[in-house]
Amino acid sequence: MNVHTDPLVDDYLRRLDAAASTLPTDQRDELVSEIRDHLQEALSQTPPGDQAAVRNALERLGSPEEIVAAAADPAPGQPAGVGSQVNVLAIASVAVAVLWFAGFGAVLALVFGYRARRQIKDSAGTQTGSGLATAGIILGWIGIAIVVTAVILIALHPNKSQ
Amino acid sequence: MEPGRARNPVSQLRKGTLEYCVLALLRDGQRYGFELVRTLSETDGLLVSEGTIYPLLSRLRRDELVSTSWQESEAGPPRRYYQLTDAGKRALADFSDEWARFRDAVDALVTPQRRAGR
Repeated sequence: MNVHTDPLVDDYLRRLDAAASTLPTDQRDELVSEIRDHLQEALSQTPPGDQAAVRNALERLGSPEEIVAAAADPAPGQPAGVGSQVNVLAIASVAVAVLWFAGFGAVLALVFGYRARRQIKDSAGTQTGSGLATAGIILGWIGIAIVVTAVILIALHPNKSQ
Repeated sequence: MEPGRARNPVSQLRKGTLEYCVLALLRDGQRYGFELVRTLSETDGLLVSEGTIYPLLSRLRRDELVSTSWQESEAGPPRRYYQLTDAGKRALADFSDEWARFRDAVDALVTPQRRAGR
């Protein structure tokens, strides 16, 4: 039978497509087309209108939600995320580095930046932003270099600042 | 890892090893999606919803452990075939070694008869 004409299959694919709206577009399209091909294969020997066979094939597939959850969960033991997210600490690292806070921002930028890089590495692809984290770290070190230079200058020339 | 995520430990194990079962099925040559999925779902004890294999295949392709190619079939539309890449072969070989040691270690501890026999 041709799955493109079966209402149960149509309905299932529609639900799958809707559930997959949280995935990146290319993954969503790929998933729906793979499942459609699967059903085409599974039902190729089935006479049209054999509802029991269609139901059985759909049941073996699992629910659309279950399939999408498997797509959104990139590695075992990792929290299920939707696509990849930019690490919050990486953003915070750059923000505090730029805001400066009389040197304290630089220290925070380093703490946040290194922690962000570790989190991103451990996230197995669910988080992005290692470039941002690195930027925060570099800005942090620059900030610290400025503070140290300023302290040295003031120490060497204690009277000039008055 | 995350609090509250300690679900059924066997289902976690199954999830972690399933991708290597997929790679292992490709060891002897390419297969198309439906064939792979049916073989896995008919393997006793793996207990997978067939549909969840496709996201896994997609991830293996993105991780470049498998590559895909479309080929004509005798009947019906073209099929997407999956085959191991060199990285996939290495990952499978590494896992197979680790798995044998892991399995033996767990067996030795959880199987009472085995312990008595040693």
